[in-house]
Formats: sequence, C-alpha cells, structure tokens
Amino acid sequence: MRKKVLTTMLSMTLAIGAIAGCTLAASAEEEVTLKVFSNLPDRKNGQGLVEQMIIDEYMEANPNVTIEVEALDEEAYKTKFKAYAMDGMPDVVSIWGQPAFLDEVLDAGVLAELNEEDYADYKFIEGSLEGFKKDGNLYGLPRNTDVAVIYYNQKMFEDNGWSVPETYDDLLALAGTIREAGMIPMAMDGGDGWPMAVYLSDLVEKINGSTNEIFADAIANADFTADALKEACELMVESAEAGLFQDGYDSQDYGTAMNLFTNGQAAMFYMGSWEASMALNEDIPEEIRTNIRVFTMPVVENGAGSANDIAAWNGGGYAVSASSEVKEEAIKFLNYMYQPDKLSKYGWENGVGMSAQDQSEYMTGDETELQKQIVEIVNNATSVSGTPINDCGPSAFKASIESAIQSMTNGTSTVDEFLSVIAEACK
Amino acid sequence: MKSGKKKFTVGRAFLWAALILTAVIQIFPLIWLLDFSLASSTEMFTSGLLIIPEKIQWGNYQKAFVDGHFLRYLKNSVLINGLAVLFVILISIMAAYACRRMKWKLSGLVKTILLLGMMIPIHATLLPNYKIYSMLKLTDTIWALLIPYVAFSLPQAMFLMTSFLDSIPMELEEAAVMDGCGIYRIVFQIVTPLLKPSIATVSIMTFLNNWNEFMMASTYLSSPTWKTLPFSVLEFTGQYSSNYAVQFAVMALTAAPAVIVYILLNKHITKGVAMGAVKG
Amino acid sequence: MKKLYSNKLVITSLILPGILVFIFAILAPICLSVYYGFTDYSGMGKAEWIGMENYQKLMHDSTFWKSLWHSLLLAVGFICIQHPLAMIVAAILDKLQGKAEGFFRCVYFIPNVISVAVIAYLWKFIYNPDFGLLNNILKAFGYTGKINWFDSKIAIWSVLVVLIWHGFGWGMLIYYTGIKNIDPVLYEAAAIDGANQRQTFLKITLPQMKSVIQVNVTMAIISALKQMETVYLLTNGGPGDSTQFTANYLYQQAFKAFKYGYGNAISVVFIIICILVTVVLNTIFAERAEKGKAVR
Repeated sequence: MRKKVLTTMLSMTLAIGAIAGCTLAASAEEEVTLKVFSNLPDRKNGQGLVEQMIIDEYMEANPNVTIEVEALDEEAYKTKFKAYAMDGMPDVVSIWGQPAFLDEVLDAGVLAELNEEDYADYKFIEGSLEGFKKDGNLYGLPRNTDVAVIYYNQKMFEDNGWSVPETYDDLLALAGTIREAGMIPMAMDGGDGWPMAVYLSDLVEKINGSTNEIFADAIANADFTADALKEACELMVESAEAGLFQDGYDSQDYGTAMNLFTNGQAAMFYMGSWEASMALNEDIPEEIRTNIRVFTMPVVENGAGSANDIAAWNGGGYAVSASSEVKEEAIKFLNYMYQPDKLSKYGWENGVGMSAQDQSEYMTGDETELQKQIVEIVNNATSVSGTPINDCGPSAFKASIESAIQSMTNGTSTVDEFLSVIAEACK
Repeated sequence: MKSGKKKFTVGRAFLWAALILTAVIQIFPLIWLLDFSLASSTEMFTSGLLIIPEKIQWGNYQKAFVDGHFLRYLKNSVLINGLAVLFVILISIMAAYACRRMKWKLSGLVKTILLLGMMIPIHATLLPNYKIYSMLKLTDTIWALLIPYVAFSLPQAMFLMTSFLDSIPMELEEAAVMDGCGIYRIVFQIVTPLLKPSIATVSIMTFLNNWNEFMMASTYLSSPTWKTLPFSVLEFTGQYSSNYAVQFAVMALTAAPAVIVYILLNKHITKGVAMGAVKG
Repeated sequence: MKKLYSNKLVITSLILPGILVFIFAILAPICLSVYYGFTDYSGMGKAEWIGMENYQKLMHDSTFWKSLWHSLLLAVGFICIQHPLAMIVAAILDKLQGKAEGFFRCVYFIPNVISVAVIAYLWKFIYNPDFGLLNNILKAFGYTGKINWFDSKIAIWSVLVVLIWHGFGWGMLIYYTGIKNIDPVLYEAAAIDGANQRQTFLKITLPQMKSVIQVNVTMAIISALKQMETVYLLTNGGPGDSTQFTANYLYQQAFKAFKYGYGNAISVVFIIICILVTVVLNTIFAERAEKGKAVR
C-alpha cells in the first residue's frame, strides 16, 4: 500500500515537474531563494505576523521565489547581525536607522545602496529616511514610527482608584501606592539595557525639552556632565530605589517584563509603541488585553519639556545586503513590502503602532483604543526626541551604556561613575 | 557486605534524610517544569509550589513538537554528536597506537601536542574560527560544528586511549605480526576490540560534552538545516514570548531524549563516566 | 617486526588525521587570534596593526579583571561547597547497598545530561522574584519578602548555585568511584581498631582519595575559568558586569561592541591564563605526590 502511494506521488511530482518545466522554459524565470534575516521571532502576532503575511503573499505572487526566514530576538539578532557583517549577509535584513547600529556597517559597505527616487510615491513621512542615509545615499527603509510609551492596565487603575500621573512626582507616588497594594508598579525590561536607555532619553526630553543636540555634543566631546543628563540619571536612580520597577528588573528580559504586565502582575509596562499589538494578541487574557491603555512619560518639575514633547524616532527597518547574489530580486521584494498597502496597511490592521509611511487612508475608526491613543499622541506632539541616547554613538558606546546603566540604577555604581564610564567608551 | 544486619538508628535516619533531601533538590525543579508545562500560561502566576492544572494542556506539547522542529533538531543533534563520537574514536585510536606502539623519534612530542588541546578553552577559538569558517564557506554547514567538537574532545580521548593501550600486553599483536598482519589490520581488527571499555567511555564523554554545546552552534549556524536541539528552546523564547506554558513544554521536550536514554543506560553511562573521570 | 613498527608511511597515515584536526581547529585559530589581537579590526573592513595597544588597554580594563575574579570566586565555591557536599553524599551512598544506591546515583546525575539551554532558562524561572519557584518555596515556609536572586551583590552566587546543581552528579560520581576503589581491607582494619564512622572517613577515606581530590580541584578551577554557556544564557554577564566571565566578555566585545581585535586579544590572554593555571596546578600536585611517595 505504502509503495503504491509512493509511486503515485512520485509520478504526480514528475508530472507537475514536467508542467512546471514547460512554464519555466516559457517564462525563463529562474528559481530564486531569498534569505530574510528578521528580528521578529513571533510570527503569529504583531509585526512578525505582518512580515510573514507579506512574505507568503510575495511567494504566492512569484512562484519562482522561495523566501527563507531566520528570526531571532532583538539582542540575539544584533549580535548575529554583526557576525554576519564579517561573513556576508543574508539578502534582506532588519536594521535600525541609528548611528550605533548603522555607522560601522555602512562604513564597511555591507548594505546595498537604494535609489531614493524610487520611493517618491511610497508616502514616507518627511524626515523618516534620514537615519538610513550616509553622505546623501539611501541604504535602508524605516518600518515604524516608534514612540516610547507607558502602557497601563486601565481596569486595574480604575478598580484601585489610581489615576494616570500628571507629573513625574505623581508617578513616583503612584508607584508607592501600587507597591502597597502588593503589585508591581511598572514592568521594565532592564536585563537588555536598551529600554532603560530609552527611559533615560525620555527623561532627558522632559527635562531639557530636546535631546538631539545634548546627546550629539556629549558623545562628540566624550563629556556627559551636562546638568540635564545628570538630573535625568539621578531621577532614574531615585525611581529604581522607590521601587517603580519590578524586583530584579535589571536581570529580566523583554519577555519576562512583558508577561508581568500581560498577566496582570504589573500595572504599567514601559516599551515602544510597536507593542500596541498586545491588544489583539490572543495569548493574552482578554480581560487584560482589552484594557491596555497608554500614556507618555509625565512631565518633570521645572523641566523644559511639555507633555507633548515626546520620545519618538524612526528606528527599525529593512535593508538589502550589498553582497547578495540575488540583489535585484531582494530589492524587488523590499519594494514590495513597502508598497503603502502592505507593511503599513497590514501593520495598522493588526494593531501594530504607527508605520513610517502615511497611514491616514487606512484609518477606519475600528482600530483598537490603543492605536487611537498612539495616533493622538503623535498628532499632538510638539516635538520629538529622535534617536535614544544608546543608539547615538558607536557600538562600543552602546555596549557600554547598556551594561553600565544597570549598575547605576541598581546602585552598584554612582551617577558620576556611570557618566564617566560611558564617556570613556566614546574615546 | 561491610557489616551484617543494620539496625535502625537515629544516625541512619539522618543519612537517609540527607540522601532524600539531595535527591529532592536535584529532581524537584524538573518536576516543577513538567507540572507547569501541562498548565495554561496564566496559571504560572500562583504562589503554590505545584499546581493541578484546571485542564491538562497537551496542546502545549503539540506546539512544542511541531513549531519547535523537534524531530529535525533531534535528528541533527543525534547525527552531529554521533559523527563526532565516531571521528573522535577513530582518530584517537589511530593516533594513540602510533604514539604508544610505533617506533619513531617524535612520538612523545606528538602525543604531548595532541594532549595540549586539553588546556585550551574552547570558547577562545570562537572568534577566529568564525573568521576561518566564513573564509572557507563552512559556516552553516555540519562541518562548522563537527570540527571543533572533534578537536576539543580529542585530547581527552587520546589520553584515555593511550593509558588504556599501555595496559594491554603486546603478545597478541606480536602473534599477529608473525601471521603476517599489516599494521592497519592490527589496529582495527585486533587492538580496537580490546579497547572496548575505553571506547565506551570516550563515546559517553564526547557525547555528554557536545550534547550540551550550543555557543558554537548559535554562532556558526543560521538556517534550520543543521540546528541542534537547544535551538528549540532559544527560538521559543522569542516565538512564544507571551506563552510561558509552551516554553516550559519545549524545555521539557528538549530535555526528554537525553534523560530517557540516561535512565535506560544509566549503569553503563555511570561506569563509563566514572572510568573517564578517574583516569582523566 | 621492528621494520613494520617503524614504517614512516604508516606512522604518518595514522597520526595525520589527529594532527590535521589539531592544526586546523586549535593551532590555526590561535595564530589568527594572536594576529588580530595586535589590530584594531572591527570585524568588517580593514584591520590596522596597532601593536600592543589592545593589551595595554586590557591591563586597565576593570571588567576583564572582574571576570577573572569571578572565575576565582566560582572555583572557590566549587571547592568549598560543591566538592565537600559531593564527597559526603558519595560516602553516605557508599554505605547503602542494592537498589537504593543505584536509584540515588541515577537521580543525582539526571540534571547533568540536560542541555545547558534548558537548565539556564529553567533557572531563570526558578529565580524569578515574582513567580519563581524559589521565592514560592520561601513563601511556603512563611517568608513574605521577595528576594531578588540576581541582585548585583549576590548574582554571582546564584549562578554558582545553578552550576553546582547542574554538576553535582558528576562530582559525586567521581568521588563515589574513588571511594569504591579504596581497598576494603583498610576499613576492616579500622573496624577492628574500633574506629567510628567519622574517624574512618577522616582517617581513611579522605587520605586515600587524595589523588581524586586533586584531579577534581584542578577540574573545578579550569571549569570555573572556562565558564560561558550558563552565564551567557542566564544573565549574559549582568546586571552591569556583576556576573561577567572572560569567555562571555570576549564574545560581547567582538560581536556586540564591534571590537573583534580587542576580543581576540582577550582570547589570547585567556588561553595563556588557562595554560598557566593547568601547568601550575599539575606541577604543585605532581611535587606533592613525589614527596608523598618519598615519605612512604
């Protein structure tokens, strides 16, 4: 029996092969395998789902193309990316349009140059391509407009009579109240270091009213003694000491922090707007996912930044490898992804935060509350911070600050030590 | 028997308590793992030690099995480790024989050089090997793992083989030479069967050492073609970041083959490890 | 006969695979490390020769020294905690007979066959302050606080606990075999002299196990130096650099900070330290053994 099935299958494959062979000969299309290296390992939710949907669609539309995806967690991704940079990249890769990630990579000529004029109709938000350029040439395309936000559990807030903090002091006071109620005030992915660096940048934005110049100056001069920086650091240490973050935040990873929040253990969660898809994630209990709301970093007393000066940037995106043997096909796929009705539209429909393209025509009013809130935040913004501090310098600086910030917030080293350690890494 | 009948005394009760406590410490985390792998994710957040899941979630294991590419990764693990063991045994027997039995000037020196590898930390070669393999286009192939696995298991194998070889009398080989046997036949047909106990030890040690390895695998491999079992766990922390129960299931599943094989072969493995450990 | 055994061609063919593997997988990478250790290579682009600069920097790199210090702490932990425990359990186990003995031995060894990836993730959960097993156990005993096991002051000890738990069966087994190898006549003699269990352990078991202990101590120190995988997965050196180890640090420097040259310089120093430690330990123990023999 088995043998019979096998022969039938064999002959069928042969037959299909023959037909395929004919069409192949007719259209002369070559079999192409595209390797995609992605930082979105969860292929069933949020951005990973969107990426996979587009890949599946593309393969359907182009039967001669096979797309293989290798997906790793953010930190593992960045490490492996650097290893690939030495060896030769997969064809299409996730990148971040930020100096810490891109400068050395572009110097080494690892990424293929794109023709900016091709993207005139792609509705990219003004300025969003800047981070992906070097000497005026374009090397990658942004995927999102990222906003640093504080997610909170609205139901938990209401049940306990807590209100959204107006000022940073309110936030700290609220932390105390939540602690007393036996819960975790804010889940923080402190194990990875970068979310804390974003938090720090967010504070600087609120204290100083802007971050671009102060970060650029500090890194260029290897001098981090500016008052705003110091004040932000002190505020952050104070927050950690006050128990704002969960116990052991400095050793817990992204997943752990997020799970504390999505399982109702923590009242708030500090993360980027890309996690807005939590609202549609079926793995999260319904009672919680429908009650997730968001606010931005509260204002700091005497700070120059208002509530509408937000920490936001165009970070993640995609690029094509310069050494790719199928570069043309890779760019074709890249452009396909960025057709306004693909990444941008699907992302929006699947509850992901905002893309780097104009999404206004896809707004139907049926979005999740979370999405509406984020749109409102962005639309009301009077200024945006740009790249967070850890991504403004070279990768040695990034590695240093992401480790040193843990030591500072947990009290192993002082604020001054922290500032001098990261200054050292800029030299 | 060292002493005849044993009376129940406080002292003996204490000894038993100590043994049982140690056993509980060693095994309880694994029971905990199994327990929660059958629960649903939200049940993790209890303060109880063990729970009775409201509904046993076999689906967790189904996800772990399918999405974790369990069979493929298991096959890769077994294949890569098996080949490594084979190469290590073959190479170490040949080299050990040449160094201990054959007559040549540099035999001592070569043996020392081959044993030198024991002192080199395997992770110190991570960076340069990556460079070498990428130049030779060996990354993402089975060789990228086989070469270091063999190289770093070889010194210990060499050590065990030579010391065991020294304890085998020459007579059999001499008789074989009289019968007109060539060296290769002596090595593979006469000496190799005699080395059985140390071959078993070397196999077990090599297997155990490399079964756990994953740093090299994660650095040198990229496509799923050759990925080994630990990758199921790593991939799942990303893929199912918001579903702890499934992560637990994949951990339990990944641990299972080795544990089952160990329990089945535990006497032989213990013997092998003991021999290797005392000698090495 | 003699001719047969000194046939150069045969010798070469037997030894060649081993030598090739050694050259290709150990010698060549070390040479390459030495070369890159003298450059400022970032991993991409060109490598520029900068002489001893990496090594000078390394001498003042506090994280590097910390990572060595952590290895030392770990070695001390192994020697002072894991080994005495393993030896005592082995001695107790030796007193048992039959099925129970086999059962316990089997159970103790099980964690050892589980892959580090599973162990590390499992312990991450066990240590979690909010829903982890350990704090839940404390809660069951009435302790209400939450202990943060990866607090930067104690994180290194939490790592040690995992390593001890994982490696306990191995250490126990070695001691167990050592004890089994002791000539039973010695025990009988002790029994005739009326020695109690503790005396027997101290006067016979311990001295007879000397060589086993020496081997184990050497292995403990070396494995503390080489520690990487568990730490990489459990804490990745954090919080801050409170659980940083040399192997993990060089990996981070090369693939995270883009300092491939510097990472290789660390590799070179790392190899030298490992070789030095092994040689020194072996010499010390060899001398001891000689002296011991002379006295006897």
